[in-house]
Amino acid sequence: MALAVMLLNGASFHGGCCRPKVLLSSLGPLLSNSKLYSSYRRPGAEPEKKLSWQNADFSFKKAIDHLKTQLSLLKKETQDYLKGPGGHALSQHLLEQTRVLWQFRSQEDLNKWVISSDVEIGGKSKVYIKLGRNNQAALLYGTLNTEVPRDGETQYSGYCSMRSRPAVGSFNRKKYYDWSNFNSLYLRVRGDGRPWMVNIYTDPYFSHQKDDLYTYFMFTRGGPYWEEIQIPFSKFFLSSRGRVQDNQHPVWLDKIRTLGFTIGDKVDGPFQLEIDFIGLLNDRAHKEKFAYEAYDKNTPV
Amino acid sequence: MNPQAKLVFIASLLLGSTITISSNHWIMAWTGLEINTLAILPLISKSHHPRAIEAATKYFLTQAAASALVLFSSMTNAWHTGQWDITQLTHPMSCLILTSAIAMKLGLVPFHFWFPEVLQGSPLTTGLILSTAMKLPPLTLLFMTSHSLNPTLLVILAILSTALGGWMGLNQTQTRKILAFSSISHLGWMAIIITYNPKLTLLNFYLYALMTATVFMTLNSMKVLKLSTLMTAWTKAPSLSAILLLTLLSLAGLPPMTGFLPKWLIIQELTKQDMAPTATIISLLSLLGLFFYLRLAYCATITLPPHTTNHIKQWHINKPTNPLIAILASLSITLLPIAPMILTII
Repeated sequence: MALAVMLLNGASFHGGCCRPKVLLSSLGPLLSNSKLYSSYRRPGAEPEKKLSWQNADFSFKKAIDHLKTQLSLLKKETQDYLKGPGGHALSQHLLEQTRVLWQFRSQEDLNKWVISSDVEIGGKSKVYIKLGRNNQAALLYGTLNTEVPRDGETQYSGYCSMRSRPAVGSFNRKKYYDWSNFNSLYLRVRGDGRPWMVNIYTDPYFSHQKDDLYTYFMFTRGGPYWEEIQIPFSKFFLSSRGRVQDNQHPVWLDKIRTLGFTIGDKVDGPFQLEIDFIGLLNDRAHKEKFAYEAYDKNTPV
Repeated sequence: MNPQAKLVFIASLLLGSTITISSNHWIMAWTGLEINTLAILPLISKSHHPRAIEAATKYFLTQAAASALVLFSSMTNAWHTGQWDITQLTHPMSCLILTSAIAMKLGLVPFHFWFPEVLQGSPLTTGLILSTAMKLPPLTLLFMTSHSLNPTLLVILAILSTALGGWMGLNQTQTRKILAFSSISHLGWMAIIITYNPKLTLLNFYLYALMTATVFMTLNSMKVLKLSTLMTAWTKAPSLSAILLLTLLSLAGLPPMTGFLPKWLIIQELTKQDMAPTATIISLLSLLGLFFYLRLAYCATITLPPHTTNHIKQWHINKPTNPLIAILASLSITLLPIAPMILTII
């Protein structure tokens, strides 16, 4: 499958690929002959990050409070560990067929998500999120603007995205979701007819694969009625930095970090998506293991 | 996989293991270990899935570092004693470095972090090779140097391994990770007795390899990668699920199954060495292992779930089950009565 389709340059949420490296700036004079990255900072990119030791706040009381919160998180984790896989009893893990992951009913549910747009590479799209009517849904809305930022490097622009905050355990350790019991994603949304991309990020151990993303499309209808969209995990294809990979593999559901929605359909104009809840479903009628390249690639001649 | 390539890799694994096991010079032992590491990497990353590649990378990094440490310890010993004989590893620092290097190779705590991830990323048959065949060369090196190793260090590593192998395996839902933690736990039992009676270590290893091979091959025939698949496996091979229950209890070390034999003999030897509290601690810690073995058996045999799955792969088994499973299963369940004979031949 030689689909090397370039979706959008910078469609990955790691926008600002040419942010200046801090180390490089401190060795600037030494490396002025060969620059590995350009030192141009895109207008929307964050200004130079303060180094972590410059952020140090030597307050004993704050340290004790921080330690107390982390220890209480650790205690909660241990209690959940004793209950069973995922903090629930084993019987729940074995018998469950549906699970609601994110439900948008209050501001703190909204705080579990991060929104971003091509502003970080210098574009002009706008994206906002708020609670919908009667606090029954999240409303993600804004305007897509495909005008390319004039920095000589970017060729495409115009994307907005919403991504769940990665789960963090005690002492800032990474926590992963285990969705291995399920085989489809179930969303109750009300869109405006525009196609969205659903992205699953399985935070890999090595940084070589940090741009790997499993993607599929969510086509919304746009009517006044709510839609319940079911996307089987067998349909998700592997892409890296926005480029669909030649070697396709199914997404392994035992170690998932974040879920995200991106709009980047190259059409200028307003967009709107209301999400009621995002859940998982174990569809017993769905038999497919993986939708792509089901044939044997290495048949002996 | 291409049959010729598979032949090369399997032959390399056999070659590497044989070189290490039959060597008297440290360089040959190191050579065999390196050949093993390199030969198994394509088997782990066969499917080229990003997670499989990640597992292969982790395996390579830890095993290469451990081999380098083995070479370093033999080198310091050669510097101090002037010879490279494996059985004459007398310098205490070399023994310490060798113990930690072999602990990294085997997956003893605190060098166990790679093991569950590597096993999770590899296919079930490669997991079997990693758990059994890849443990033999490092164990033989420990066996050959066992008279000069530091017993305290080994006992500490062993108790920590049994503890962590049991504790971390408790909440796993992926069968390969559960088997990885079971392996770590059994390695603890193997390591605790090596300085007192190395033959019991080898006996423990042989019986562990037998039982683990049965479990891995059973899971492979049912294509079971997670607990929920295990629940519905009884419809495909009901008698195999029933035997899996007994094999798992044997792995847990319950009498009257085979798995009880090594534990009994190890506890007896530890008591003879005036280490009864140690024996008590390690026996209590393997109760944690019993919990997750029972959980596996519960999902496979004891409960009948209300649903069957409609996955095509689970509908029917493509090829008939390997008759080797029957032989291995009967051996791993019924060898305890001939324990006196086994004692005379180890």
